[in-house]
Amino acid sequence: MKRIKLVQCMLVFALVLSMSSMVVLAQDVQITILNSKGEIQTQLEEIAAYYSSITDGVSIEVISAPVGQSPFERAVALYASGNAPAILMLDAGDVLLFQDRALALNDEKWVADAIDNSLDMATAEDGRILAFPVTVEGFGFIYNKPVLDKAVGGEFDPATINTIDSLRQLFDAIDDSGKGALVISPEDWSLGAHFFSLAYSAQSPDFNTINEFLEGLKNGTVSLADNGAANGLLDTFDLMKEYNYDRLDPLASTYDRGTELIGEGEVGIWFMGNWAWPEIADFDTTGGQFGFLPVPISNDPADLGNTQIPVGVTKYFILDGEQNSSAQQQAAKDFLNWLVYDPEGQKRFVVDANIIPAFSNITIAPADPLSASLLDYVREGRTMNFILNLPPDHWAQVGASMQKYLSNFINRDAFFKEVETYWQGL
Amino acid sequence: MLATEKRFIDKLKTYLLFAGPTTFVFLTVIILPFLFGIYLTFTNWDGISKTYTFVRLSNYITVFKDRMFWSSFMLTVKYVFYTVVIVNTLGFILAYALTGNNVIGQNFLRTGFFIPNLIGGIILGLVWRFIFSNVLVFIGRNLNIGFLSYSWLANPDKAFWTLVIVSVWQYSGYMMIIFIAGLSNIPRELIEAATIDGANGFHRLRSIVLPLMVPSFIVTVFLTIQRGFMVYDVNLALTGGGPFKSTELISMHVYEKAFLAQQYGVGQSQAFFLFLLVAAISITQVYFSKKLEVEA
Repeated sequence: MKRIKLVQCMLVFALVLSMSSMVVLAQDVQITILNSKGEIQTQLEEIAAYYSSITDGVSIEVISAPVGQSPFERAVALYASGNAPAILMLDAGDVLLFQDRALALNDEKWVADAIDNSLDMATAEDGRILAFPVTVEGFGFIYNKPVLDKAVGGEFDPATINTIDSLRQLFDAIDDSGKGALVISPEDWSLGAHFFSLAYSAQSPDFNTINEFLEGLKNGTVSLADNGAANGLLDTFDLMKEYNYDRLDPLASTYDRGTELIGEGEVGIWFMGNWAWPEIADFDTTGGQFGFLPVPISNDPADLGNTQIPVGVTKYFILDGEQNSSAQQQAAKDFLNWLVYDPEGQKRFVVDANIIPAFSNITIAPADPLSASLLDYVREGRTMNFILNLPPDHWAQVGASMQKYLSNFINRDAFFKEVETYWQGL
Repeated sequence: MLATEKRFIDKLKTYLLFAGPTTFVFLTVIILPFLFGIYLTFTNWDGISKTYTFVRLSNYITVFKDRMFWSSFMLTVKYVFYTVVIVNTLGFILAYALTGNNVIGQNFLRTGFFIPNLIGGIILGLVWRFIFSNVLVFIGRNLNIGFLSYSWLANPDKAFWTLVIVSVWQYSGYMMIIFIAGLSNIPRELIEAATIDGANGFHRLRSIVLPLMVPSFIVTVFLTIQRGFMVYDVNLALTGGGPFKSTELISMHVYEKAFLAQQYGVGQSQAFFLFLLVAAISITQVYFSKKLEVEA
């Protein structure tokens, strides 16, 4: 008797549960965003909460892929579990891998307003536009202006740094002023995907020529040891190693430590990109006086790279067209339009989350100093290609080789050999 | 004839009643994915696209030619060797010490040694990461102890030993519990008889306790070997494979091949190869150590 009662209770309970979930389904559209920019997780959550509050029945949840983990891994796992988010933020190079599953977005209004070339990596061979350009980013030497002002004894002029020698003088001056010249964060993604990619960017202002260079690496016809830009970049890296704040234990340093040291002005320079601003801001003691310097690769100021920094669209949103209902897909499209065209959406996306948008109709810009500095470079035309079509494990493999070089585990010849072996093994 | 048939149906009914749900789950969650995984080793799937082509055995050939795979494999063998030896030795010593009659706070100590096993590998890795790269370095630099002044995690050789140290810390307590269970099953009269015959502590340990503990050792060695080959969480959270991939154990290598390098077929082939190898090692180990068992 007792057992039957228990079974009855459970049945009733299950019925109530399923009914209540049906009620929820009938009213609400719930969508999920996979965020792979960990530094803006809070801001995105706030945007999602705000958007949920102003719309009728649409609610957005933000899930994250941690900094340093590939968003591809996370996206694949979510797809395999039948749980794909409506909107997925992917690295530029991974977008086309999802072409069987992503929605075509050619009919969206924002396509016309996207800036030149920003949709190149989002367009499939058959002409379908598969992704929404999220953000323009760039990297170089971030400098703390008060520290450098003190070191040079007056107003620091970033234009004076355009050769390896002038960089050395600057390092010396900062060192003499009692601060650390710079700190190198030894993360493989920073060294592999960003720092060493400068050697590719500096080959040519023309993207196709760079691609030919990369093809040459693949089939073994290019020798890095004979390449001027690659050697010049490592000359600069040797200089950085010499003045590295953490030179005693270079691999024990971290990204977080970098944000702290540069923010508090313990060091004058840190190699990183504008995405680091929200974290630097936590330690900022200068009232926001930061900017970018190019990473010089030779002693001729006219060489490409000595006065340019790489800028590109690094992150894209794709919309899932497979595991989300059409109502959810529509809600996702509406949300993207809201980000681009609604003044409140623009403000929250651009200013609050420090995103440099890839849309020409958006006239506001992020208020942070790093984005402002980056935009100055863009305005002056002092940019070069940010190489984003590297093979998926390039950052991990070349990053590991860079770490070996950083900790003097291998010399330059061995380093070049490892990078060439990696490319030829693809 | 009829009787046997009926008996079979009865048996099947009973089996389905008791083990049916488990069998179903086992089939769908373990066996089917396993078979599908083997099927994928013959394709060039990247993990996400809907189309792929058959490449026959080329993934397996890639595995055999992949030098990173083999160096990672040898590193794992080295890691398994050291953890198995140290964990079992230490676990046994702890168990032997804590089953004597004159230990104060026996239960408290047993609990203490067992607790690390209750902490998840990721948290454990992060805690020890902090200890190795901050606490020990801080102590080393302030007291001028040379070998502690630099983070162990930044040095390829020492980073390997941090993995061993943390694994030993994690598993010794667990193995200790198994050994304690084994020790308390040894008939007291055997020990007493040996004592009367004039055997000292060392003789009793070597000639009576150890032979009778063989069943426990089979279990613990099996567990440590299997866990050693499969370790991922501590590896990920403690060293992350670094510095520069020098401590990337085999599970991590397989995972990165499949999901990071987007070569799912190759990663899956490596995983299948690893399965065969671990199965072979474990079966051999159990088979041969069974022969060492004695009756009291």
